Amino acid sequence: MTARFSRRAFIGGSAAVAGGVIAADRLHYFGIAGDTAGTAGAAEDVLTGKESLYRTGHSNNCDGACGHLVHVVDGRVTMVGPAAFGSTTIDGRAAPTFHPRICARGLSQISNTYSPDRIKYPYKRVGPRGSGRWQRISWEEATSLIATNFQRIQGHYGKTSVWIAPYTGSLSLIEGVVGAGFRFASVIGASAGDSEGDNEGDSATPAGWNYVLVDPTNPSNGGGFFTGHESVDFMNAKTIVFWANNVAETSIPDWRIMCDARDQNGTRLVSVDPRFTVTCSQSDDWLPIRPGADTALVDGIINYVIQHRLYDEAYIRKYTVGPYLVDRATRKWLRAGQAVKGAKNPRDYVVWDDASSSLKEASDPSVASPAILGVYDVSGRKASTAFQALADMAEKWTPEHTSKVTDVPVSQIVELGRLWGTSKPLAVRAGFGLSHWYHGDLHMQALLTLQAITGNIGVHGGGVTTFAGGLTTTAFDLVDWWNPTGKPYTVLEPMDFCSAVQSGKPFPVKAAWFMIDNFAQQMSDRNRVIAAMKELEFVVVSDYVLSATADLADVILPACTYFEKTDLLSSNNFYLQYMPKIIDPLFESKSDLDAIRLVAEKMGVGQYFDKSPDQYLRDIMHLGTPKADPTVQGLTWDRLTSEAVHLNTDPMPYVPFFDKQFPTKSGKIEFYVEMLVPYDQELCDHKEPVEASPTNPLFQRYPLVFLSTHTRFRTHSQYVNLPWLKEVNNGGQGFLEINPRDASPRHIADGDVVRIFNDRGHLKVRARLTESMKPGVVNCYQGGWDTMRVKHYIEGHPNNLTHQIAKPAQSLIPNFPSNAAYYDCLVQVERSEG
Amino acid sequence: MVIDTNRCVGCWTCAVACKEINDEPLGYWWNRVLTTAPNQSTAAKAPASENIDVPYGVYPNVELAYLPVACQQCNDAPCVKVCPVQATFRREDGVVLVDYERCIGCRYCMAACPYGVRIFNWGDGERAPGGVIGYGKDYRVDGRLVFAPVRPKGVVEKCTLCVERIDEGQVPFCVESCPLGARVFGDLNDPSSDVSRLVRDGGAQQLHPELGTDPNVYYLPVARRVAAES
Repeated sequence: MTARFSRRAFIGGSAAVAGGVIAADRLHYFGIAGDTAGTAGAAEDVLTGKESLYRTGHSNNCDGACGHLVHVVDGRVTMVGPAAFGSTTIDGRAAPTFHPRICARGLSQISNTYSPDRIKYPYKRVGPRGSGRWQRISWEEATSLIATNFQRIQGHYGKTSVWIAPYTGSLSLIEGVVGAGFRFASVIGASAGDSEGDNEGDSATPAGWNYVLVDPTNPSNGGGFFTGHESVDFMNAKTIVFWANNVAETSIPDWRIMCDARDQNGTRLVSVDPRFTVTCSQSDDWLPIRPGADTALVDGIINYVIQHRLYDEAYIRKYTVGPYLVDRATRKWLRAGQAVKGAKNPRDYVVWDDASSSLKEASDPSVASPAILGVYDVSGRKASTAFQALADMAEKWTPEHTSKVTDVPVSQIVELGRLWGTSKPLAVRAGFGLSHWYHGDLHMQALLTLQAITGNIGVHGGGVTTFAGGLTTTAFDLVDWWNPTGKPYTVLEPMDFCSAVQSGKPFPVKAAWFMIDNFAQQMSDRNRVIAAMKELEFVVVSDYVLSATADLADVILPACTYFEKTDLLSSNNFYLQYMPKIIDPLFESKSDLDAIRLVAEKMGVGQYFDKSPDQYLRDIMHLGTPKADPTVQGLTWDRLTSEAVHLNTDPMPYVPFFDKQFPTKSGKIEFYVEMLVPYDQELCDHKEPVEASPTNPLFQRYPLVFLSTHTRFRTHSQYVNLPWLKEVNNGGQGFLEINPRDASPRHIADGDVVRIFNDRGHLKVRARLTESMKPGVVNCYQGGWDTMRVKHYIEGHPNNLTHQIAKPAQSLIPNFPSNAAYYDCLVQVERSEG
Repeated sequence: MVIDTNRCVGCWTCAVACKEINDEPLGYWWNRVLTTAPNQSTAAKAPASENIDVPYGVYPNVELAYLPVACQQCNDAPCVKVCPVQATFRREDGVVLVDYERCIGCRYCMAACPYGVRIFNWGDGERAPGGVIGYGKDYRVDGRLVFAPVRPKGVVEKCTLCVERIDEGQVPFCVESCPLGARVFGDLNDPSSDVSRLVRDGGAQQLHPELGTDPNVYYLPVARRVAAES
């Protein structure tokens, strides 16, 4: 690098900034000790070289999926701005208007790439694990160490004893949630995290989505999937409900679409959230709900809609299992063989035909209009339609009872019920906050039930959307990419990692390679995770910064940032954003693909990694061949690499199940879920949170619900230690949001150091008294670093408090079998002396 | 420029965009985003990060808005009037600029500015790692140095409305970067422009109009917001 580079950016120490208008305003804008700084010399601070521009996608685990226009002078990135999206699909149809998008994190990528926190060289551990004593080694030595240890451990404990950790820190194709690590795991026979990328806390709502909309046992559904409406489709909604979804903070550019809907079409915006977020502040209505009581509120609305006959009868009859009869004793479907004489298909569902006042097979063409409500005697058995069963379940959820359980005022429940029944189409944006609960699956099951009975699924401006887009489409042949030998890797869920290491269940894990994954900080019940990691025989971490996970490694590999390697972003929108290598890798960093290749060669499987990223991209899309999926049919390499082109989607904007063909067992929306009978969850009756409930005896000792939400100044544990963002975000230091009504009896004043604790661990930060918090609920933004070098919390991390209690019902959905319920967490808070 | 506070979510993208293109030193912000109550325009209070995101009211009857504040590009700019050496000047099109070669660092302009948007370079600024970024070159208007990648020690600096960009027909970088589309840039002298229409029909307001500074930055008010009932 240039002299200026090394002098300015990569020396240690700190320097205080003095003066300026900021000081006059008493802002906490000064770098904390340890921040790297240098002194600028005027002579070298002018750009003189020729400027080149590159378009790329911002892949760092944010569903914003922005396009970046990157300026490069003399091989160095000097500016990042928003880039345009293409105006047509691959096959030449007009694509929806999609504005250029960027946020403060994307703009800060320069200081992320050139951060003094970058890992420059490979290292090996020379002290006890976690001691922070490292020795610089060559790539040759590092990759030999990895290959030798993996082979030794696989030989001794079995192939799957090496775990390739899920990598969710990037949403790109080759080195992201669906990336080359899974291919590596397959070819060496290792275990790996779940390739849907929905590890940790993002699996519960997808599981619930699959209960209702997908048959997980049908191989053509691939073990379950999860998608939603293209973001511009929200322009088609009359009402949008943001359920536990702080879009205006966590998916900022998408909020523009909501504003456009409001300002251009008069769309009503409703927010359901226990915190008064910026999204709530900009909504027309805000329902301040008790955390974890979401299903109860949905049940209250379902009851209101049914009681006031505001449901969509024709839709229920045609597209849902509503008319099918349920045996109310066994709670199983009544089958034609049990109820209809001479049934053609004894496994068929049974309906009540009003015209003939008789039971008929569901597929009987003579049934013009089956009943959707009704209770019948079938040879002494009591049976009812599934919709009747739903109505019976919901009956107790009167506005008054719902209000008692949810803390939402009766008037607001009634108003939302009226709105839901009369404003069509109505769209739901459900945040992953809804998934961070033990019963997160049930939250989604309930919302889909409500959307089904109001006719809002498979229509423009409807649905329940968390994200949608490229990675959920069929454009990419991931099966072949992950599994080139035909022998796939063995899945080990992140939630099973600790037991695999500590008790050999479901099988022993003795070594792990973490890529793009800060597992030791971001996984729930972190003290348990760290204890398990310390028991591993061999730990490899690839990262671009020295993370809490890297602190525990035996071998550290320096990874590239996205400017330094080639990839493709196709996430949460329907554009393909080619990500060219824009600058050479800094220091001795390498892409994960290159790192894997070096290890694979030494393990005798190098032939699976011998192509360039460009070639793999062509292969994964079968570009220019008849095997190309219809969504990428006609795409040329030139077009892919010269603009962000929209996939060939149908309809436009994309809406899942627009054709009303539901890949369930019945072919209908199954708001009555027979397979959940053993779990008492065939209908979406509210269940109290597993921990964060006043009914829990633990509540007496730990009476505060602990949330650890996202801030717009970080993306999980990325963009955390960057000077610009820290200046805005409390100097980077974590804080506890607490209502004055909870602070006062604890003698906590604004700015006091507080200790937050439960039986699993503790966290120390300063308190911020704010009326944005519901009394009884506290929040500490997650993602700040707790590494050996950098501490954004005084002690610990929010995940020292969270747990790993998995819900058995989710195991029915192979791709979303377990979930970390980050928010389903109780704590106590006390003032601390420092 | 018109800023729609009904859309502003306080994401600071405009402020960071400003910081990037102008390579503002650490701790210095030409453009800041204040947390306010809706339609409150008390820039002088400027509490910023001490109360960032902290709403007004008592849960659940709370409200919250944001106010991005940079140089207001006043028609009757106090900073121009008080400058003893005419370093701060108003260009014919209305852009208020500082000639860094003329500025003597007396800071009268900072005292005169009612919006608190001017910054004094006490010393060599500390910058984010990565070397010089942003526009990266000197820019002169009629021979006067109105942008330099690193402003000299002892001068006052502030938002230039990205003069180097608007002279090329581009919009200021904060306008281009705003992910909400909350910033509209145009010619207020042209009655058919979007900005003129928003000022005329959208109820856009100036900050502290009572001071008679007549800013060219207008704010669209917060229009919705129904506080929760208890």
